[in-house]
Amino acid sequence: MKENIEMFPKARIPYGTWGSSFFPAWQTSALAEVNIGQFAGEAMNRILGIRKVPKSELEYLIIGSTIPWHWKFWNAPLVASCLGHRIPGFHIEQACATGLQAALIAGAEVQSGANDVVGVLTFDRTSDSPVGVFPERRAYQRTMALSDVWDNFGFDPATGQAMITAAGNAARKYCLERKEVEDIAFCRYQQYFETKASGFLDRILVPLEVLNVQGRFLGSIEDDVGVRKLTLDDLHKMREFDTCVTTGTQTHASDGMATLLVTTAEKAKELSPRPEVVIQFVAKAEVRTHPALMPESPTLAVQKLLAKTGFTMADIAVVKSHNPFAINDAIFAKVMEHDWRQVNKTGCSLVWGHPQGPTLTRMLIEGLEEAVDLGGGLVLLFGCAAGDVGIAALFRVTEGGKSK
Amino acid sequence: MTKSIRQSTLQTLGLGSVMEIFSNGRLPVDTGDLVDRVFGGADDRGSMVISGPNGIVGAGKLMQLTSRLEPFGVRSVSLSRARTADGIGPQYPGLLDVFGKERADRIMGNIVRLTYDGNNLPADLQKFQPRFLLEAIPEILEIKKAHYKIFREEFPGIEIRSVTSGFPSSELGVGVMHPAFPHETNKVWEIVEDKPSAVTQLLWALGLVPVPVSDDWSFVLDVLFCGVTLAGLRYHRVSNMPFWKIDKYVRKFLGANPFRAHDVIGARGANFLTWSCLHHLGEKYGALFRPTPELDERQETGQNWYPPNHFRPVVNWRMNGQEEDEFLSWIQGALFQMTSLMLHEQRGHLSHINAIGELCAQFRRGILAVIRSVGAEAAIKRVEAYHTLYPEAAGCCWYPAVFEQLGSPEWQQLYVNAEHDGNVGVITISRETYNSDVDAELNRAIDWLKVEGIVNVIVTGDFHLSTQMVGADTSEFFPALDDVEEGRRVAVTWSATARRLNDQFKVSVGFVNSKRCLGASLELLMHCHYLVAVEDAVLGMPEVTLPVVPGMEGCHWPFRKTNRTQWPKLVKLLLGGAPVKAKDAVNWLIDYAGPMEESLNTVWSLATTDGVTDLTMRSLDEGVLEGIPADVGVSVSDNPATEAGRKAIMDSVRASCSVPLSEALDIQAKHSAGFTVSSYCMEGSIGADRARTMLV
Repeated sequence: MKENIEMFPKARIPYGTWGSSFFPAWQTSALAEVNIGQFAGEAMNRILGIRKVPKSELEYLIIGSTIPWHWKFWNAPLVASCLGHRIPGFHIEQACATGLQAALIAGAEVQSGANDVVGVLTFDRTSDSPVGVFPERRAYQRTMALSDVWDNFGFDPATGQAMITAAGNAARKYCLERKEVEDIAFCRYQQYFETKASGFLDRILVPLEVLNVQGRFLGSIEDDVGVRKLTLDDLHKMREFDTCVTTGTQTHASDGMATLLVTTAEKAKELSPRPEVVIQFVAKAEVRTHPALMPESPTLAVQKLLAKTGFTMADIAVVKSHNPFAINDAIFAKVMEHDWRQVNKTGCSLVWGHPQGPTLTRMLIEGLEEAVDLGGGLVLLFGCAAGDVGIAALFRVTEGGKSK
Repeated sequence: MTKSIRQSTLQTLGLGSVMEIFSNGRLPVDTGDLVDRVFGGADDRGSMVISGPNGIVGAGKLMQLTSRLEPFGVRSVSLSRARTADGIGPQYPGLLDVFGKERADRIMGNIVRLTYDGNNLPADLQKFQPRFLLEAIPEILEIKKAHYKIFREEFPGIEIRSVTSGFPSSELGVGVMHPAFPHETNKVWEIVEDKPSAVTQLLWALGLVPVPVSDDWSFVLDVLFCGVTLAGLRYHRVSNMPFWKIDKYVRKFLGANPFRAHDVIGARGANFLTWSCLHHLGEKYGALFRPTPELDERQETGQNWYPPNHFRPVVNWRMNGQEEDEFLSWIQGALFQMTSLMLHEQRGHLSHINAIGELCAQFRRGILAVIRSVGAEAAIKRVEAYHTLYPEAAGCCWYPAVFEQLGSPEWQQLYVNAEHDGNVGVITISRETYNSDVDAELNRAIDWLKVEGIVNVIVTGDFHLSTQMVGADTSEFFPALDDVEEGRRVAVTWSATARRLNDQFKVSVGFVNSKRCLGASLELLMHCHYLVAVEDAVLGMPEVTLPVVPGMEGCHWPFRKTNRTQWPKLVKLLLGGAPVKAKDAVNWLIDYAGPMEESLNTVWSLATTDGVTDLTMRSLDEGVLEGIPADVGVSVSDNPATEAGRKAIMDSVRASCSVPLSEALDIQAKHSAGFTVSSYCMEGSIGADRARTMLV
């Protein structure tokens, strides 16, 4: 075991300065009506206000999103203006890995000494996704229109296959049974609703009120709208789209934002409501698996990460898996010989949806909060991303000098 | 010998007391005489020069003063640098709206536009004989001083005033005439000079509102306006709340929306002026006034405070009760402390300090009225809470002892004064709208006169701060929109005050001395035994247009005072909402209308002869009135709210006239309050105002 591994020794995530919107399912909330970049900027400002962090502390902003939004050309500086603080920054994008990559890049920014307080702000609106019109001289149509969310889900140009097909491929490769996958999905829903009832999510999710152009109430973003309790019987009755893939065992599109800060150790102590909690970056790994087998890639990334760091699953306190398909978790459990009940104990993206950009940011925040509840420990966060990519990272939470 | 509750604000201009206006039968100064004194006689008339006339201040004041001085043959010369953008031409549409084409052309034709290089005055200026320079150039002390120097060298004896927002007269070496925004229409000017000058008195004679203030860094208006802006900025820094939302809460609690005001005035200029004022105040007084980094940045960039239209806010902010209380500490705490400084430094007449907030800084109630309503102890606690939140402010310019004077007449009579000469009393009201503060002060003024043994009284405006009387402050009705008992309480309380003018004096004379008297103001004055108005005043009961039902006895009192043959006119006045000219209202709404001096003499005669004059007092019928006409030729409105208002008003008229006077007050109060809780009122003007200002 390598206790002293630190990816960015100078960087910290100040505990309790973070927050996320709820993730309402696509087309179900006022988020379908807004410029999500503007919303995210204003929501981050609101969240920082609630967390008692003056936005004037921010020096740099890294934004992450995957779906084009109006005026995206103007990038992080525009979002920073919406936040109310004119600072520089830039945009990063790696499909569903965006939310983790943004935090890691912020860590690098602090580690480099370029900035002491870096905001990480990830967001996406899958509702009413923009349609791009592309000149394609080699296509017989000459010009092709692409609906950014659904057309991309349905077609990986590198393999010619859909995401859902990749899930079916992976399920067949690992000889998964539908029942096991449904058991996992059912457990995930139970974990989410139990966590919600416990109040744990209140520390993370911030209700936000959306205004219309006249400045009047348009809607409240105060729930993960679209998430309903499922029974095993419900799951059994669902139509199977591909092997082990049903509506209940895959995620759904949603809208939302999530934000956290990455700072120096000194700044983290200054800004956090609990300065005794120390959160460090430990390590990261990425892999790209064979074509159209995306759901196995996170497991491979975790293997690589553990191999690099020398940790074993026994060393990990909190395991958070971004699981657009329950198949992801089934493969992970099978390969790593890890009880899937010990994964995603506070909820996951299979249940609360898939707005892409902020997904792994919200999962990271949930994982860190869970670790704090445990009194500290290693947090393993991993997930898949478009292109058969898997990403995994480790964070260390230490509370008051107590490290696990 | 005139005795008064407190000094009349008119006296601060060297214009004597209001009592003297009545006893002399004329206004204290003549406009023509003052024009002669400032600009020379008609055969040697000089000109007014405004330098920096293309800026917001210069252009606005050029229009305001030229429109008033042009009839006296005073030429206006605008003097600007060659490369400044034209700020005068864009004023023309506004002139057209107000004056019509012929007069607008004459005003513009009276302006001579000259340019110069900043160092040498144009040779042509000489032939216009400049007698008065109003300097409105940028807020840079050395440039201003150099500007005065070249004028004095060229035109010895010229009167110079600066419109500066913040430099004391002692630094500038000239007097100050600091005007309030919007510059075309706002009549208030803060004046800094050793003693009231002919220029200042001329402003008053021209219908403007000069207000003397002390010679300190920044004047009262800018301490308040820049102060509330700064308070909002400090809250922004600790909370992240966007400026637009802070504005909404400041408007809810105080009435002002300082950040919007900066954008409307023009952020580039306004940001600089606010920064400049605060910077200099901060230099002198410390952290209480020191600008925040946001203001430092914006004084350079001229950036707006509100987001652009295409980024109208998406995420709302709300505060719970505890957060609102903390917000109040940030805002009120800072303002109360700043006010303590102004009082400690005796920066002006208390009524002036109070009125400046209302007339120039959008305060719903003046800052002293607010402090008075919360009380000294609570005000001090609020400042102490502010110091807990912002400890840097604790170490400078905090004078809690000034609040110990809250019981003094100066504090207690901010809006209403009373004078008497041993025989006749004069009650003056300096607030254009009637509210609970005015009501309470009016009662205290009546009490004082009663104690002084005065039985004859004149009730009028103050000939200074109040240039019109426009009725109730409708924000007073906000609580009554959903609380019928509150509406009834207001109507009963205010009506009871009004009745004192009828019941407790041998002779009471209401005098409309200004351009209009509407709604509750008219209801108040019609309770006097006599009502006199200058002939060009307009009188009206516009309640139906809001709609509300008159609650200060307007639905029955005038009927009781008027011959039944005139009742159709009263019904039409109430249901139509259109005003009438004073001279057309004689014998059914008022008793006399005439030119100012004749009106003054009429009022004085009535008050000094116990009403024994050619005018016969219209008696008050205290019985049951029958035969109130319903059809008076008011055309049906296509607005359902107006029709509902008319019906409610007629119901109130019929009900309150069909009982004896002793019962009528309660009846009309019940009708007024009942309609105020209706959907028509909620969706009408008052409901909309409340939604806009209070439901944040």
